[in-house]
Amino acid sequence: MLSGTAEVAELAARACEMASFDAKAVTLAGVQVLQAVFEMDWAARQAVLPPGLHPTNPPIVTFLAWQVPDSPWGSFTMAQARAGCRSGVRPRGFVAGAVNDNPAAAAALAGGWGLPGVAGQVRLQRWYDAVELEVVVGTATALRLVASRPVPLRLGDVQYTVTTSLALTPRGLRLVQSEPEYAMDRVERVQPRLESFDPSAWGEPALAPTTPVAATVGTGAVTLPPLRYVSRPEVSAFEGTEPVR
Amino acid sequence: MQFGIFFEMSTPRPWGGDVERQVWHNALEQARVADELGFDWVWAVEHHFLEEYSHCSAPEVVLAAVAAQTTRIRVGHGAVVCVPEINHPIRVAERAAALDIVSGGRLDFGTARSSTWTELGGFHADPEQTKQTWDEFVRVLPRMWADGPLAYEGQCFSMPERNVLPKPLQKPHPPMWVTVTSPGTELDAAERGLGCLGVAAAGYAEQERRTREYHRRIQSCDPVSSVVNDQVTTLNFLYCHEDPAEAARTGMGMVGLFGLANSHLLWTREAYPTSAYQSLGNLSPGAGADRSGPADPHGIPEGIVVGDPDRIAAVIGRWESMGLTGINFLLNAQEVVPQERVLASMRLFASEVMPRFKREPASVGAR
Repeated sequence: MLSGTAEVAELAARACEMASFDAKAVTLAGVQVLQAVFEMDWAARQAVLPPGLHPTNPPIVTFLAWQVPDSPWGSFTMAQARAGCRSGVRPRGFVAGAVNDNPAAAAALAGGWGLPGVAGQVRLQRWYDAVELEVVVGTATALRLVASRPVPLRLGDVQYTVTTSLALTPRGLRLVQSEPEYAMDRVERVQPRLESFDPSAWGEPALAPTTPVAATVGTGAVTLPPLRYVSRPEVSAFEGTEPVR
Repeated sequence: MQFGIFFEMSTPRPWGGDVERQVWHNALEQARVADELGFDWVWAVEHHFLEEYSHCSAPEVVLAAVAAQTTRIRVGHGAVVCVPEINHPIRVAERAAALDIVSGGRLDFGTARSSTWTELGGFHADPEQTKQTWDEFVRVLPRMWADGPLAYEGQCFSMPERNVLPKPLQKPHPPMWVTVTSPGTELDAAERGLGCLGVAAAGYAEQERRTREYHRRIQSCDPVSSVVNDQVTTLNFLYCHEDPAEAARTGMGMVGLFGLANSHLLWTREAYPTSAYQSLGNLSPGAGADRSGPADPHGIPEGIVVGDPDRIAAVIGRWESMGLTGINFLLNAQEVVPQERVLASMRLFASEVMPRFKREPASVGAR
């Protein structure tokens, strides 16, 4: 059984900070959600994960973007680059890097749910036959992705994987399990194509997407529920999972 | 009630040295022992690229060796992936017929369409098309096995008039099965007159409902050939030991390890959203069993064939009461159970449990 080999101390440098686990549920309405899956370079499959997580076969990277028209922190658009993995037996997406165009929203997501997000420009543009995601950090284009040829899906056909991310919490450095609930009104599958990708701009130079698999784009409500579990990043989830209450 | 053993060729890391040779050697020895003990089938899966979970990518080779080393037990090709990017249907027909001849007419032929992105993506197969290609395969294969040449124009392949050779020893062809993972696939099997080769254990109540519906539907099926196979089997684990505590310790260790490896596969639905794959794939056998039901005093969930002979007989009796005609057993996972203990478990099962069940040959009849 393969496990991650990343140095936890190095990953900790990009962990966000949480003062408590007390965030109340927040529902975001009218969110446009893009989730794009690519296979990832096998050489990196363990290098991007802490020892407490296990890579999938084949390794995958998922780009997840939310365009949120309104929230308690104003409108925002955020994007995450996540390495597909398992925590014990559970499917997870480990946040290798994230960008948010609204500093207040970024701070709230980090402090409440352990979801990191550096400042940058995130543009999620939808046309009738395609969708484009562009992420810029400083002067670097972290990502430009185009997905086209939409095929309608039933709402139950899409699986949004639970997010896990590294945060400095009141219990120390932990993998924080964020479980957004998606109530989508409409979802389509689209075929993604990477036009530009700069792993360093995401803060994870080892991240290397290769073959496109599939993407979905849809609109609906996203609820961020209170946190339930965290785990220690250096050991298996069977050993290191802790309920937060 | 019939009993089979089921090979995944689960192979633990590290892969240096001769670990794969050892896994194959152990499996072949288990097949010989199963033949001697009165088991009914040796099944071998077809999987590709599934590190540690299953290295059984050439089951026809494994089964040819099994056939050569046994005299009585049936060999189950369980199951051939009916996706043209992975297996051309003509080659499938040829290999199966050859295996039937080599085994002396002991072949059971399973069909499947793969559940993982790891496999489908590895062959650049389109997940949206696999149900259709599977349907085309199961309809054309019996025609290839029939006497005489065949010309075919289909959706996933075509061929000018040719005589596909050799022809199988069993006439008109070996019993055909469908592996059933997603709920509803048992109805696809029933409607085509195909046996239901369960590889995802449902809970008792769900299995009973699905089996009853299968038996009802197959009465009015439109079979893909002149024979109907109305057998229903499920997949389970087997670890039998006189001491129930030891049975639980070793058996549940195997169950847990298999489930862990299973959970690390990349299921099609997770990577490629589609209505063509409604479930996450083949649940770890037993994972679908009713865990809310009472576990035994040693913590073995109900429905799992692990325990002392009395417990195992009771569990199998419950499965049999639902209309199942057979159970296939995984005997090991990543070699976590030493080979001598696997063989001892098989021998104890054969001497203490098998005789408690009425054993009848399969009913595969002309229609």
